[in-house]
Amino acid sequence: MSLFKELTTRELRELDALLHERSYQKDEVIFDEGDTGLGLFVIVSGRVKIVSSHAALQRLAPEFGPGDYFGELALFEESKRTGGAVALEPTQVLALFRTEFFSLLERDRRIGVKILFELSRTVVARSRKLLANEAHLPTV
Amino acid sequence: MRYEEQPGVLSWGIIVVVTCLILYLFEKVLWLVIPGLLTLVGYYCLQPLVQALVRAGLKHRTAGRLVTGCLFLVTCLGVFLLFSVATSRGAAWKTTATHYVQGGLNFVGSTEAWLEEKVPQLKTSALIRSTPKNLDAVSEQFVGNYLGSLLLQMVYWLPSLLLVPYLTYFMLQDGNRFKKHVIRSVPNAFFEKTLLLFDRVDQSLRSFLMGLMKLTVLDTACLGLGLWLLGISHPLLLALIAAMLAWVPYLGSIVACIMVVIVAATDFPNELATTYCCIILFLCVRLLDDFVFVPLTVGKSLRIHPVLSVLMLFLGAAVAGPAGLLLVLPVLGLVAVIVEMLGQILGDEHLRKRFRHGRVLQRTMAAGSN
Repeated sequence: MSLFKELTTRELRELDALLHERSYQKDEVIFDEGDTGLGLFVIVSGRVKIVSSHAALQRLAPEFGPGDYFGELALFEESKRTGGAVALEPTQVLALFRTEFFSLLERDRRIGVKILFELSRTVVARSRKLLANEAHLPTV
Repeated sequence: MRYEEQPGVLSWGIIVVVTCLILYLFEKVLWLVIPGLLTLVGYYCLQPLVQALVRAGLKHRTAGRLVTGCLFLVTCLGVFLLFSVATSRGAAWKTTATHYVQGGLNFVGSTEAWLEEKVPQLKTSALIRSTPKNLDAVSEQFVGNYLGSLLLQMVYWLPSLLLVPYLTYFMLQDGNRFKKHVIRSVPNAFFEKTLLLFDRVDQSLRSFLMGLMKLTVLDTACLGLGLWLLGISHPLLLALIAAMLAWVPYLGSIVACIMVVIVAATDFPNELATTYCCIILFLCVRLLDDFVFVPLTVGKSLRIHPVLSVLMLFLGAAVAGPAGLLLVLPVLGLVAVIVEMLGQILGDEHLRKRFRHGRVLQRTMAAGSN
């Protein structure tokens, strides 16, 4: 999984205590647009479709597969989700809850920095993609 | 955001009723509740140590075993030391205790004499006539009325208190796994909100215990400083014991005040004024504690209005006696969090719809596989 690829075995062990496994049926809603975001989801198996009323977001990442993650903005702030997530097939995910991640950050900044760096890369890449799709906005 | 809304009047009514019901039940199984509470204290105190060892490279299970093993060794060592000191200095301790009790009795006698001198009508008062005048009378009264039940209480409490290290060990080892197991059984629709509920409960408990520790430090510092200025022996130790006794609201303070008075009266047998100064100091610290320290520490951590806290203390005492006084605030804080969160989870039509949709999908899937 790209999000945790920089972590050592010991760090993965510590992180494992915070991850929650969930299984979703085909067409089951993982979260809806407008829900208060409380954490991010990493896909272990299966596929997830992002549904958003914002056309730009819909174009950005319509589908995620194993190893991908979504809902990452919820890790930074408690705001409403800008899109919903629906399982396209039986899907297994790992959920990382915001406050648990923050407690990990307080205990072990090194793990936090590694995860946050990966998250930042993804956020930057998705922002660039978003800006590239919007012709009237310059790519930074 | 929805979960930051404050509970309404109806919610608070439910919270108060549920708190009273829980206190009533807790009073019936106090032998299990007190070890449970001590287990939580142990868990929150030792958990950072376990996490530090995990960061140092140990597996969680090994770290848990190491910490509880060390705790067990320290406890055994402490009991052994206490036992050996008690056997070697038992006679001296008995003499000291007798000395202090006699000092307290002398103070009561002097105060009575002073009161009788000022108010002659009190000479015929039943209260004054019933007060024991010397140590033998007190010993006789204690052995006759209380010793048997005290010994029985000790026998009754010992096995359940032995549960504390055992439960602490398993909470450190498997607490997180148990939490994950419970969360796994929650339907997907309510999963995120349930995680939030668990987090809030954890935060409340942690904040309450941290608040209690801060309160104890503040109380110890204030009372210790006052007693030191008055020249009382062992001011810090006395202040620490008094601050810990104050964990049981009102009743603990009364016991602590009696203890401080006895020590002051024995240290200064011919200076009644010093003992009265101690009582005034104690009352001042209690007032400071109730109106400044508690709202700043425990009250702030539980986010409960001071008026409601006081009312609930009375209700708790009425429902479950001294145990109610001790437990009412943490139970109220927890029930408030749980009722508030459950209201949001179960009252959210959107989540319920998602839950029903999930069940339909599960049934369809099960029918398809059959």
